[in-house]
Parts: sequence; C-alpha cells; structure tokens
Amino acid sequence: MAQKGTATKGVILGILIIAGIAIPFFSGNFIIRFLTNTLMFAVLASAWNIIGGYTGYASFGNVVFLGIGAYVSAVLMEKEGVSLWLALPASGIGASLFAVLIGMPVLRLKGHYFAIATLGVAEAMKALVNNLDITEGNSGIYLPVMNLPVKEQYIFFYFMMMGVLAMTLVVTYIMLKKKLGYGLIAIREDEEAAGSLGVNTTLFKITSFALSGFFSGLAGSLYAFQQGFIKPESVFDVGITVKMIVMAVLGGIGSVMGPLLGAMSIEVISEILTNYFLVAHTLFFGAIVILAIVFTPKGIMDIISGRKKFGLNYLLQNIRDHRI
Amino acid sequence: MLLQIIINGILKGGLYALMALGMSLIWGVMNIINIAHGAFIMLGAYCTYWFFSLVGLDPFVSLFISIIFMFIIGYGIQRYLINFVIRATIFITLILAFGIEIFINNLALVMWTADVRKVQVPYGASNFSIGSLVTIPYVRLSAFLIALIIAGIFYFILNKTRLGRSIRATSQDLDAARLVGVDVAKTYAVTFGLGVGAAGAAGTLWAILFPINPMMGGILTLKSFVVVIIGGLGSMFGPIIGGLTLGVVEALGSNWFGTTYENFIGFTILVLVLIFLPKGILGKSE
Repeated sequence: MAQKGTATKGVILGILIIAGIAIPFFSGNFIIRFLTNTLMFAVLASAWNIIGGYTGYASFGNVVFLGIGAYVSAVLMEKEGVSLWLALPASGIGASLFAVLIGMPVLRLKGHYFAIATLGVAEAMKALVNNLDITEGNSGIYLPVMNLPVKEQYIFFYFMMMGVLAMTLVVTYIMLKKKLGYGLIAIREDEEAAGSLGVNTTLFKITSFALSGFFSGLAGSLYAFQQGFIKPESVFDVGITVKMIVMAVLGGIGSVMGPLLGAMSIEVISEILTNYFLVAHTLFFGAIVILAIVFTPKGIMDIISGRKKFGLNYLLQNIRDHRI
Repeated sequence: MLLQIIINGILKGGLYALMALGMSLIWGVMNIINIAHGAFIMLGAYCTYWFFSLVGLDPFVSLFISIIFMFIIGYGIQRYLINFVIRATIFITLILAFGIEIFINNLALVMWTADVRKVQVPYGASNFSIGSLVTIPYVRLSAFLIALIIAGIFYFILNKTRLGRSIRATSQDLDAARLVGVDVAKTYAVTFGLGVGAAGAAGTLWAILFPINPMMGGILTLKSFVVVIIGGLGSMFGPIIGGLTLGVVEALGSNWFGTTYENFIGFTILVLVLIFLPKGILGKSE
C-alpha cells in the first residue's frame, strides 16, 4: 500500500515536472509571466515555511529578505557592473547574513513578540533604504536591461525561478531527513525540552532563519532583474509577507509541498478575481482568506492527504475544534 | 522651540495612546494581535467624516456615535468570526485579522474611493499661547484630554465593574472563568467591542486633526504595535506611557534627522525595546 502510494506520488510529480518544463514553449508571454510570478511566491512561501512552519517562529517580516536580495542585486549590477551570475548568489548570501545578524537578538523572542519584531525590522529596513543614497532612496533604482528578445527573457526568468524553487524544495526535503529538521520540529513542539535533550536551539533557529533568508534573497534578486526597476515600497511591501504566510497556511504549513500548492491556488484565484472584478478583486480576496482560515485552517495538504473525509462535516469539525 | 516640539509630541502621543489602548486590551485579554486595528480606526474616522459632511454634526458629538457603532461592529466580528478560531495557533488569528483588514480597507475603497478627505471644523485653527514660547491648538489639546478620559473610563470598567472582573478572569484562566459561570464567548466579544470602540474614538480624533483615506490604517496599526510594545502589556498605563514616548521621540527625531526618518526611528525603537525590554517599560516580568 505504501509502495503503491509512493509510486503514484512519483508519477504525479514526474508529470508535473515535465509539464512545468514544457509549458513555456507552448504559452504566450502573459502566461509565462504569470507562472514565473507564481513560482516566486512558491519560493517565498516555502522559505517562510522553514522558519514559520517547521521551526514555529511566525516571521512577519520575511519580505525583508526579498527586499535585501533585490537591492543587493540592483546596487551590484547597476553601480558595480557585476553580472547576474555573481549578483544572484551575492543576494542570497547577503540576505542570509542579514538573517543571522538580526536573528541573533530577535530569535530570542517568542510568539507574537517575534512576529512583531520581524515586522518592525522589515519596516525599519524599508524606511532606511528609502533614505540611503546608495539605493537611490525613494525614487527607486533601475537595473541593467537584458540583451535578449522579450519571449526568451520571459522563458529565462521562468526557468531561473523554477530552479530556485526546485533548490528550495530539495533543500527543505533533505533538511527534514537530517538532524537539522528533527531539531527544528523539536523546537517547534517544545523549545525547552529540545534544549534539554541537547539540541543547540540558538544555532538551529539561526540556521533555519538564514536558510529562509537565502532562498527569499535569491527570489528577490531575480525579481529585481526581471522588473528592471524597483522601489522600497514595492520590494519591502508588508502585503507580500502576508501573501506568503497565507499561501503557506492555506497549502498546509509544515509540509514540503503545501506552500507550493498554496501559492498556486492563491495566485490562480487572485488572477481570476482580477479578471472579473477590476475594482473589487482585493475585497473578494479578503473574503476568501477569511473563509479559508475559518473552514480549512489545516490547509489543502490536510484535505488531499485523504486521512479525513472531505465534506461539510470536515469544514464544521474545524470550527468545532477551535471555537470557544 | 525645543519646548514646542516636545509639547507637540506629547499632544500627538495622547492620540497614539488612545490608538494603542484598544489593541493592548484585545492583545492582553485574548492573545489576539489585531492587525485590523488600523482599519477600525479608519472606519471610526469615516463615521465622523460622513456625519460631519452630510448632517453637519460636530466631530466631538459624533465621537459617541462612532464609539457605539464601532463597538457593535467589534462585538459582531468577535462573536461570529474570531471566536470560531480562537483556540487555533497564533498564525490563524493573525491571518484572520489580516483577512478582515483587507476586506474592510477594500470595502471602504470601493464605497468611498481613494480620495483624501478632511473634516474642516471652523474652530480648527484657534489656539492659545503660554508666554511667547509655546502655542497649543485647542483641537489638539481636546483630543489629548479625550484620549486620557477614555483611558480612565477603561481603567474604571476593568477594575471596578463586574464586567471588568469577568474580562480579567477570562484573561487569566479561560477554563476557570468558565467554571465559575463567566460566559466566555460573550466576554470575549465585549472585550473586542471595547477595543474596537476605542479604535473608533481614535479614528474620530484622527479625522479632526489629519486628512483621512481608506488606506490610512496600515501605518496606524504598526504605530499601535510600537506603542503597545514600548509601554508593555497588562496595564492601562502602558499604552499611555508608550504613546507619549513615541510621540515625543518621533517629534524630536524628525526635528533632528528630518521627517523622512520618522518611521525608521519608530521601528528601530520597536525592535530595540523588544530586544532589551521585552516586557515594555511598565511590563511585569514573569
């Protein structure tokens, strides 16, 4: 039974990968761009999942890593003439160094206090970048233009973003099989107990935060290069943090594929809403977030895992579990 | 000059205190971080704006309408929405509050457009001077005093009434409170209503002093966080101390570094206080 389950999973995964590689060659620019954006949010949600889902530290400032990645690339490429191939890893490393630096004090906080502190860090960085000369302040910064036909540019960014996503998912998967993953889950369940069992909680938490920062930084670098122009308000937008958390939670936190599923569903839903309701689409988005949180707080992964039968009773049971 | 800046800071700090009062109550009692707090302030502000521009009602009168109206909204939202997920992990209530914020902000945007609006009271510019150094606008002083009065009323409700006792009991131990006969679901709803009512009052005062628009709430939520954290949870005086501190520090900081650094200063203080004084200035250590 377990064998059969694994085989089915493998087949589905294989089809998805082949489809993912083939799609851009048969699609228009709009679709490729939409998919690239979805992949970016999948990276961000998966990166958030490492610190928020597995370690249990609800970071409300993860957008800061996207912003730092974007600005490291922008400054390096525009001011120093560095190529993408150097700027990309530099952005990831820059973001994870920032995570280490900020994580040392901030990861000592718990629960809501950690959430607010990370939010504060992100807002403070936005305000700082808005005022610095090297980042060209609130007027925003341009990046070098790419010498490729438009269609090929789109395909290039699609595969780069997919590569980053694949790396994020594979690293998460490997991490779970190693001491690090078990340590992080132990920290989530009971930090004091984990510490007394010999888990170096500080080191583990900082590593987890740095990994989360690294992948978000890579996504930020690609995002900046693709956009060609970034502003502090656009890459340090707290709304992006909200989106990645909503995606991770709706997909199912603490599972490798959950955030990916969450990102896909949220992006598709937003796109459809934008198409049908030009003015009010965010209003409906808010309503969907509210309904999804109330009725399916455990996420899509819980539904498709098939452990419980899906139906009206499933939805109501979630309320019965959490109401007073 | 310096004295004037500090007094301006204190007067704005009173409003910050009122903004944070409701958030602090909701957070302290139910462990909910109400991210929609700024959206409720915005609704309170629009409530006052519409009564002023359609009926000509003075903002200091519509203050009461705004409080009652927001109390009812808050009561309903807690009773028929947040109570359904209150026992889930903290992400869930956080994201639910975010969903509510997105919903309210965009409803306001669709109904009232993104135009910036202003309540122009005829007495808006009148002021008095102390000596030749300091000028105090009456409106700002009244807003400051009203903020303090509402804080006082909150203190009275929480410490001297039966309702306050149930709220405190529920915040200390939910199950024990239930065992001795407190209707927990209702108490939570009333608490949320009180917090949102205070947000409504803050919105009214904000509308008198500053221009308003449907998206004004986000930064106000963040400022309320800063104030709650600086002051510390678990005391009605926390938000007041926090509000005055933020008001004065922002005023001095903008004076020294320029107004574009205002937010940087505020959030840097937030992070520093969290790291070095995680329980806030007045917070009790466990």
